[in-house]
Amino acid sequence: MSTNNLIELHQVTKRFPVGDGEFTALSDINLSFSKGEFAGLIGPSGSGKTTLLNLIGALDDSTEGEIKINGKNIANNSDEASALLRNEHIGFIFQSYNLLPVYTIYENVEFPLILQKIPKEDRKIMVLQALEWVGLKDIANKKPSQISGGQAQRVAIARSIVKKPEIILADEPTANLDSENAYKIMDILKNLNEELGITFLFSSHDSKVIKYLKRVISLEDGKIINDEVK
Amino acid sequence: MLEFLFKGLIRDKSRSVLPVIVVALGVSLSVFFVGYMKGMIGDVVDQNARFNTGHVKVMSRAYVQNISQKPLDLSLLDAEVLIKDLKHQYPEMNWVKRINFGGILDVPDENGQTKTQGIAGGIALDLSENSIDKERMKLGNNLIRGTLPKGAYQIILGEGLAKRMNVNIGDKITFFGSTMDGAMSFQNFTLAGTVSFGTSVLDDRTFIIDINDAEQVLDMVDAAQEILGFLPNDVYDESKIETIKNDFNTKMSVETDEFTPEILALKDQAGLRYMLDIANISTSLFSTLFIIAMSIVLWNTGLLGGLRRYTEFGIRIAMGESKKAIYKSLILESIIIGLIGAVIGTLLGLGLTYYLQEVGIDISDMMSQNSMIISNVIRAKVVPQQLWIGFIPGVVATLLGALLSGRGIFKRQTSQLFNELGV
Ligand SMILES: Nc1ncnc2c1ncn2[C@@H]1O[C@H](COP(=O)(O)OP(=O)(O)OP(=O)(O)O)[C@@H](O)[C@H]1O
Ligand SMILES: [Mg+2]
Repeated sequence: MSTNNLIELHQVTKRFPVGDGEFTALSDINLSFSKGEFAGLIGPSGSGKTTLLNLIGALDDSTEGEIKINGKNIANNSDEASALLRNEHIGFIFQSYNLLPVYTIYENVEFPLILQKIPKEDRKIMVLQALEWVGLKDIANKKPSQISGGQAQRVAIARSIVKKPEIILADEPTANLDSENAYKIMDILKNLNEELGITFLFSSHDSKVIKYLKRVISLEDGKIINDEVK
Repeated sequence: MLEFLFKGLIRDKSRSVLPVIVVALGVSLSVFFVGYMKGMIGDVVDQNARFNTGHVKVMSRAYVQNISQKPLDLSLLDAEVLIKDLKHQYPEMNWVKRINFGGILDVPDENGQTKTQGIAGGIALDLSENSIDKERMKLGNNLIRGTLPKGAYQIILGEGLAKRMNVNIGDKITFFGSTMDGAMSFQNFTLAGTVSFGTSVLDDRTFIIDINDAEQVLDMVDAAQEILGFLPNDVYDESKIETIKNDFNTKMSVETDEFTPEILALKDQAGLRYMLDIANISTSLFSTLFIIAMSIVLWNTGLLGGLRRYTEFGIRIAMGESKKAIYKSLILESIIIGLIGAVIGTLLGLGLTYYLQEVGIDISDMMSQNSMIISNVIRAKVVPQQLWIGFIPGVVATLLGALLSGRGIFKRQTSQLFNELGV
């Protein structure tokens, strides 16, 4: 494995306790991603896509194996260290947009910056820029309940990129969108990948997403069955 | 971050308004309850001290044994010397003689025949011009008709009694009773005025005469049935009273005579110790129960709120907040809510107490059959204790609720939490 990889997984296995026994969701995964990739995990439901994204995003711990982000093993990280890693390096986009309903669009996008303790004036510049990237600068003061699904997912994108993370993990980001909006989203993400050099890792069933991917990794029953660069 | 939390609290009404209402309600109840109890206790103490028990009461030992019958024949002798001695030993106290006695009041018609007649209880006290005891009984304030006695053998009747006997100011009233030694005694009085204390036992069954007249009529000059002692400004202080009582009784303990004077404190009389102890215990019991109940309610509102906010917590975790930081922010929110609720609740409780202190609730209809000396108007009393008695438990209960409900959420694995979020 080369050491200048952004993400490295080495013999990663994940088992969940189920009843008295265990269920192996991922077994012996070896993978690496370099900076600027636009890659996706595909595979049937239950194949382990979300589980793998959660491990890389430090939302969950692997049972065995090593996961390195920027060369640092995150396997034994504390809750605080994992939180810091996510805060500084990783952005998330979810299937259900998961905006905080009581806050405005502006405040939703601002939140990751508040966690980073960035001063208010700097935050303003960054939030407005992020909203401009996704073309939503004019709805900054609306509430999530007042906008459409496509707009909400664009807000979620703005929120994930506002702190300019190295990695964005997108778990089925288009699953709730019609095709017009799905394409719009993928165009935005592709642009961000090309212009800002952010590394993207998707999970998807959606052929519209797969069309955009530059690398497709197929999972089945927790194992990698194919890994091809287009 | 604080600003962020504040915005959330203010905009999400179910996160703020509901818990604040719960806290404010609980706190105000508790604050008011204390004020109500203090008012009631204070009222009972005050009324009993004024009309019956004094802060302390000096009697003969034999009299103490039969105190409920108020036997005149067991009165203290050589009263002037004793009072002089008491004044010397406890100069801060105000000492006054009182006589409680019973008899028949007879109102004659113009031919000298009985027009109306009734059994009544008499209280004799110093009615002279500069009498402190007269002030203490608030006779002037409670005068309904006529004036206070200005000469010898004038009488005041409770307004209820006067009505029942159908007498008017200036009418003759004859008292029939017995002297200290058990001899027949009667005396004509002139009705000077009527009073109402708002206490049915006093208003409907009691008459008042001057102590000098009573001593003549009852043939007990230089004797004293009861000598009442009051602390300065009539402010009740249990520990001071106990000190005086113990001091005096210890000094007297060497005497063996059954007419040796003995002091009973206010609490030792009229079942007041039991009543005051019950009142105090129930006040603390209520406060404790209130903390527990409020904690349980807030724990549950916290749990429900927490469940509702799983998505929010999941998002915040994904954005890079640690579970600990979220837990802390929950606690911070609960403190803010607790403080706001406790302030509102305390103000509400104090306001309600103040209203009852100044205005009161008239319960005279309910009290007409009662023979206890209890005021016909319920009055609460604002006391310093009310500033913290609801406030601290209110904040603590909110905090406890958040700690308990937050723990449930954050003992879980992040992944498990995250799965449940449906993120
Ligand atoms: N916390 C958990 N406890 C037990 N089993 C789990 C847990 N999380 C996931 N699994 C199981 O692991 C397997 C992989 O789940 P995962 O969510 O990664 O699949 P997926 O590929 O994302 O599926 P989908 O396309 O439906 O999103 C599934 O069989 C799932 O039931
Ligand atoms: Mg999935």
